[in-house]
Amino acid sequence: MKSVVIGAHLRRDDIEPPDKLESLSYVQAIPAGDLFLSGLPVADDQPLGDRELLLRVANIRAALLDRATFIAIRYGFAVSSPSEAAAKCAEHLDRWRALLEQHRDDVEMTLKVVASGSVARPDRRDFTSGGDYLKALHAATTSVEIDPEFRNAAEEAIGKGRWLHRDQKSLELVALVARGAVERVRAAGEELKRRFPQVPFLLSGPWPLEVFADETPS
Amino acid sequence: MDENLEELTLLETLDHLLDRGVVIAGEAVISIGDVDLLYLGLNVVLANVDAIKRTSRR
Repeated sequence: MKSVVIGAHLRRDDIEPPDKLESLSYVQAIPAGDLFLSGLPVADDQPLGDRELLLRVANIRAALLDRATFIAIRYGFAVSSPSEAAAKCAEHLDRWRALLEQHRDDVEMTLKVVASGSVARPDRRDFTSGGDYLKALHAATTSVEIDPEFRNAAEEAIGKGRWLHRDQKSLELVALVARGAVERVRAAGEELKRRFPQVPFLLSGPWPLEVFADETPS
Repeated sequence: MDENLEELTLLETLDHLLDRGVVIAGEAVISIGDVDLLYLGLNVVLANVDAIKRTSRR
């Protein structure tokens, strides 16, 4: 068996024991230093790209977040033993503990905005060097912009978080929101939709610590 | 739930699963057949933006 690692948690009881929710029935707490990783045991030959597994892990993430805030681990990290998990995460543990203690009552909310103008994606065939192509790709992605008025209104609605350039079509504002303020932020999102009907955007969350778990903000 | 909104929510959820969170150093990119999950993640992101536009037009 191997375990698909889902997140890093402050306490064992953020993961176990399983409650009445079916989705958490098989999740195990894997000790890593003085933190715990949530892991879903699967057969060694289970392909991680399996659609059912992806959806199952997505459901488990949501159920775990209902219990307590955790640090999300990018999908695809699987371990065969607790010692392997602890060794591979060792360099992160101190920072994760500090983040989890600081943001125990916070979740992330994401506001994804479709860019006001499209930016052409560079064509690899136009470049002789891979490095130059990657630089051009990065430049194209970071040149994406949105209406400044909407940008300010979005920050007023969900808070001044981090703006991320993730592709050539959209920008994202990710903010830390107190658990008790999630509904207020959703209402602010609805108000934003009324004020800017011409700007396509999606407000989503709550999410675990994903962007704010990264020490190098974009 | 509205079908478009349901699709959008699923895409957003998969986008977060595949393209967010801490990357553990040394982990290989997963492949499905010949398609890396990394690219699958990118496709989800792009499909997500298109879905946002569709939903907003309604």
